[in-house]
Amino acid sequence: MRWVWVFVVVLSSTAGDVFSAKGMSERGEIQDFRPGGIVRVFHYIATHPMVIAGVITNAASFLSFLALLSVAQLSFAVPATALSYILKTLLARLYLHEHVDRRRWLGVALVSAGIVLISF
Amino acid sequence: MKNAVFVALIVLGNTFGNTFLAISMSQLPGFFAVSLFSYVVALLTNPWFLSGTFLIALSMFAQLSMYTWADLSYILPVTASGYVVTTVFGRFFLNESVSISRWIGVVIIAFGVVLVAETRADTKHLEGVNE
Repeated sequence: MRWVWVFVVVLSSTAGDVFSAKGMSERGEIQDFRPGGIVRVFHYIATHPMVIAGVITNAASFLSFLALLSVAQLSFAVPATALSYILKTLLARLYLHEHVDRRRWLGVALVSAGIVLISF
Repeated sequence: MKNAVFVALIVLGNTFGNTFLAISMSQLPGFFAVSLFSYVVALLTNPWFLSGTFLIALSMFAQLSMYTWADLSYILPVTASGYVVTTVFGRFFLNESVSISRWIGVVIIAFGVVLVAETRADTKHLEGVNE
């Protein structure tokens, strides 16, 4: 059962970040941080379908992580979900067309390995 | 500079937001010990709960904003510095005990963060760089 929840957490958290990044990157770089500018960013977030999908799937990922914690210990849940870093980076390359060079891959691999270690 | 400010907002907002929420939970009555109404009143009048919620919302807003100019494959590993902050904060301010394997994990994460932080934050608008 716990691996089913790991699967749900990894998928929903990946979808959440990838959709959010896709939707937000279609907007130009935010330059204006005065109150009016911030209100416009809020409006963009609340009305862009891809960003809304991202926020909802991220909320689902948070709830499914709580569900995972009800059937597994934190020392299992945290390293198991570290897998999502690899999947998100893969999709950043294939779907968002980011240039993930060797240095970035090495960084992501170190971060994932580190997350696995900190739970023991 | 803009990158450093936003990474700090994302990481510190999330770390301290979670810490404040944990403090608020220890001050609240048990969920089943009181009526739902008095539980919600206790929640909405607890300063730790309110400031924790504000910090987490700030962190999420900063992360969404940063996607408008920085790569997902840059933001993700760089904000993993939160694990380093949480451990150091837990050890030196909350006096938690930290195992050797946790310190090793934190050092490995820190190496990963620095490696990625030194790459360009935005590669989507470059032409002809993809292999």
